[in-house]
Amino acid sequence: MSTAEAIDKESRAAARARKKADKIRDKHANDLPRSMQPSALVKTITIVVLVFALIYFLFPIYWAIIASTKTPSQMTGSNGLWFAVGLSDLPAAIAKNYGTLIGWTRGQFWRWVLNSLIYSGVSALVGTLVAVMAGYATAKFNFRGKNLAIGVIMGCMLMPAALLTIPQYSIFHAMHLTNTMLSIIIPCCVSPFGFFLGRVYAQTSVPNELLEAARIDGASEARIFFTIVLRILAPAMVTIFLFLFVATWNNFLLPLMMVSSDTLKPVTLGLYGMVSLATFTDRGALMMGALLGVLPVIVLFLGLQRYWQAGLAAGAVKG
Amino acid sequence: MTATTKTAKTGVARRAAKPKASDAAKRENRTGWAFMAPFGILFALVFILPIIWAIYSSFFRQVTTGGGAYGGGELVNKFVGLQNFQYVVTSGAFWAGVGRVVLYTLVQVPVMIIAALALAMLIDSYIVKHITAFRLSYFLPYAIPGVVASIIWVYLYNGQISPIVKGLAAIGIKVNFFGDNVVLGSMANITTWTFTGYNMLIFLAALQAIPHDLYEAARIDGANGFQIAMKIKLPNVRAAALLAMLLSIVGTIQLFNEPQVMSISDPSISKSYTPMMMALNTSQGTLTPGGDGPASAVAIVMALIAGVLAVVYTLVERKVNAE
Amino acid sequence: MVSHNKRLVAALAAVAAMGMGLAGCGSDTANTGDSSSDGGKVTITYMHRLPDSEGMTLVNDIVAKWNKEHPDIQVKATKFDGKASEMIKKLETDVKSGEAPDLAQVGYAELPEVFTKGLLQDVTQYAEQYKGDFASGPYSLVQVNGKAYGLPQDTGPLVYFYNKAEFEKLGITEVPQTADEFIAAAKTAAAAGKYIMSYQPDEAGNMISGLAGASGGWYKVKGDSWVVNTETDGSKAVADFYQQLLDVKAVTTNPRWDPSFDASIKDGQLIGTVAAAWEAPLFMTSSGGTGSGEWQVAQLGDWFGNAGKTGPDGGSAVAVLKNSKHPKEAMEFLDWFNTQVPDLVSQGLVPAATTEDAKTPSEWSTFFGGQDIMKEFKDANNNMGDFTYMPGFSAVAAKMNETAAKATDGSGKVADIFSDAQTTSVDTLKNLGLSVSE
Repeated sequence: MSTAEAIDKESRAAARARKKADKIRDKHANDLPRSMQPSALVKTITIVVLVFALIYFLFPIYWAIIASTKTPSQMTGSNGLWFAVGLSDLPAAIAKNYGTLIGWTRGQFWRWVLNSLIYSGVSALVGTLVAVMAGYATAKFNFRGKNLAIGVIMGCMLMPAALLTIPQYSIFHAMHLTNTMLSIIIPCCVSPFGFFLGRVYAQTSVPNELLEAARIDGASEARIFFTIVLRILAPAMVTIFLFLFVATWNNFLLPLMMVSSDTLKPVTLGLYGMVSLATFTDRGALMMGALLGVLPVIVLFLGLQRYWQAGLAAGAVKG
Repeated sequence: MTATTKTAKTGVARRAAKPKASDAAKRENRTGWAFMAPFGILFALVFILPIIWAIYSSFFRQVTTGGGAYGGGELVNKFVGLQNFQYVVTSGAFWAGVGRVVLYTLVQVPVMIIAALALAMLIDSYIVKHITAFRLSYFLPYAIPGVVASIIWVYLYNGQISPIVKGLAAIGIKVNFFGDNVVLGSMANITTWTFTGYNMLIFLAALQAIPHDLYEAARIDGANGFQIAMKIKLPNVRAAALLAMLLSIVGTIQLFNEPQVMSISDPSISKSYTPMMMALNTSQGTLTPGGDGPASAVAIVMALIAGVLAVVYTLVERKVNAE
Repeated sequence: MVSHNKRLVAALAAVAAMGMGLAGCGSDTANTGDSSSDGGKVTITYMHRLPDSEGMTLVNDIVAKWNKEHPDIQVKATKFDGKASEMIKKLETDVKSGEAPDLAQVGYAELPEVFTKGLLQDVTQYAEQYKGDFASGPYSLVQVNGKAYGLPQDTGPLVYFYNKAEFEKLGITEVPQTADEFIAAAKTAAAAGKYIMSYQPDEAGNMISGLAGASGGWYKVKGDSWVVNTETDGSKAVADFYQQLLDVKAVTTNPRWDPSFDASIKDGQLIGTVAAAWEAPLFMTSSGGTGSGEWQVAQLGDWFGNAGKTGPDGGSAVAVLKNSKHPKEAMEFLDWFNTQVPDLVSQGLVPAATTEDAKTPSEWSTFFGGQDIMKEFKDANNNMGDFTYMPGFSAVAAKMNETAAKATDGSGKVADIFSDAQTTSVDTLKNLGLSVSE
């Protein structure tokens, strides 16, 4: 217990120190001595490059927003850089494409978005936890078959996951799980990459001495893991969580095979249906669906950015 | 890998130090497996069993039985030995697909990693203030699902829709993003657009973890910004870069979404354009021989090739590291 | 620390409970695949890929009408959001696992393949009584070896869409009736920057095979083995026709489902093209109203040396799948569903049912110059050549599309489509273990 508390204190102190260092660094950067200030030319080039990249990354999204308000014929016939109708008619244009989208998804669009959130959220949560546990196990314990297990899991990073969908279907059917939420959640919460990250993090950021000390204090292994290790690995877990969340959100082949009930579909499946049905030409509505469909992910990214950036930092240094 | 052996050694040391070594080892074995179990069980369910199934099925082909022009209305699994593998390794279409994917990987991955690294360094250079907006904007495409990203870009490549193509045409530059030699590059651009920001963030995180005193010291020694970037920053993000590279290679080998979506606009993109596409289309019977047997064989051969490439990469990386 | 630990455990328990809850909430829908009878009440499941777009009568609404009138036979429709080939794959796995729906939409071109894969149930004994409700051509396309496996839903005869006003501006007073006349007219049009025909590489497998098939089938059964000839005189005529047009650049080459095709109609470049009947509403959307009221539907001319016969492009049946425990009830519903003519028309279909005259929706006739285009489609249906598809045709069609694309940039010839179709057809049949006499 005392060890855990000590760790807690220590890590909090470390975080404080880091923040302070950051601040100092920022300040420094802003008032470097004149001789060290970059020349105007360097500055201009840097800004030009960064702005150019900004346009490259944002332009397609901007275009998609514009396109999402257009009818099929406006897509080809109007200026691609701006709305086809006057701003006063815009709400009507949006409402029309939104209507098409809702019609196409048989009124289930938001239900599917909710499903996607559930699938991604639960898979990422469970997946992160089991990956970190396994990573910790292989990093800190010797058990029989460990090297084999590591080898097999790492090898599976090379296996195209999409091709396993059909056999997964067979196995899940044998367990009477097809056409349930679990048939999507279970496959999505296993990630060899997540395991790999968990392992690397555990290897590099969990000190053996600390574990020994806790053991001498009489803490059980479970308690050590849940109270000490998880806390140390928290930033790393955010990275794994994010990775799993996005991977699940993007997956459409698995739900395509696993579920047939309308009420269980994720939103990407609806979008994919629009793409794959060649006769669906209402591309503006498709763009609207795509944008509304990724909105929750973007909100999540922006909302959690402080956390996952810390996670990425931890990962990058240790990776 | 080195880390594995290190841990193993400490384990051995610990065991030797304790009097009841075997008891401790047993306990450690139990604890290790207890932590491993949840992942292990799920992993077996989602990877091991399906892979065994895939390997098993790769020795079979689905053929009709019962004679007649249409067969007896039932497909049966016929054991064909290594025939499916023979089909794959002698298939020109398969190797053409492998060639495309390898070329794609050789060009796209370095371009993306270098771009990500360059952007990260520029942002970290503190030449520009208010970097958060840049950082987030670069990262935004990562949130867009691959299929959707591909659709957006397909429209941006399209001569009738795209303001880019139209704009270029207006100033006298005619581009065809679906041209024979261009189309692979067009796909690579989609991948680059989606993942550069993600990689950039990883590099940025690594850069920001570099202790500031290192820069100070270098500056006092008279190093300029460029020299600092090359001599201090680059070596410090090396580990992150190598990992990002490996993951990108694994990703591009499974190239599927981009060519699949682009084939709507460019029917000359065949059903076997990449090994992944070939495997899925074989499984769905839009290529012949079709069915799960030949599809599994395609997947297995491709996984082996990916394994070899990964090993080669690791060896090269080690050699470079050793020098 | 203890409290912290507790919180974690609670959180984990919550996750576990959530998982269980999810499993539970899934399980009541888990058996959608099984038709179940419960005290005389039968549940039929039906999987389709109909568009269900805005403004259409939704499949679920049509089904709801049935369910209201038939408390004993309740139908549950599910829509598959993927490609036809993916749906077949799903049905294949579903049938194997015993979870397949009772009824599923299957294209005519895919029906023999789906039969070969063992997904269908022989329902000849029930089908007979409904035979009179459908046109005989489509009805026969739901048969394999003389046995029925479902009922036809819609048909896709090929017709010619053209903009009459634009034609007249070019001095083409009527649709050219021979190949030579057509090519001459196409040249005239091309000189004015207009095109009276489109070459659609992504539809080659469906359309080109249909056009060639109008003159005579490719696949014949002799004894127990297949006689494959995709390089018939009809095929040669089609290849010759398009090759000439391509050589003089008097034809558009935009893929049908690429936005560039829509653009070519919209900007008035493309003023005539062969199209499947079901394309009418899509064509209207694509045009964005360009030439509304000026377009017309005509029968194909005698362009391919077959006196203007037409061929099939698309069209679907609904088949009874192997594990259905209630084929009788399924067929009863199916006959009703496939004869809901106005509802099916709203989905953009040209119904195969003959029980009721399909009326041209008013927007359609507005676009097509007040013409009763449904009548044209029916005429085309009655003028359709016999074309039987072989099992595994989807692989052939895929190959044809790929080869067709090469002819657009001159790196291949249109005739290659048919030679590639020949080799792919023979390979596919052999790979399926079927005998081919060469």
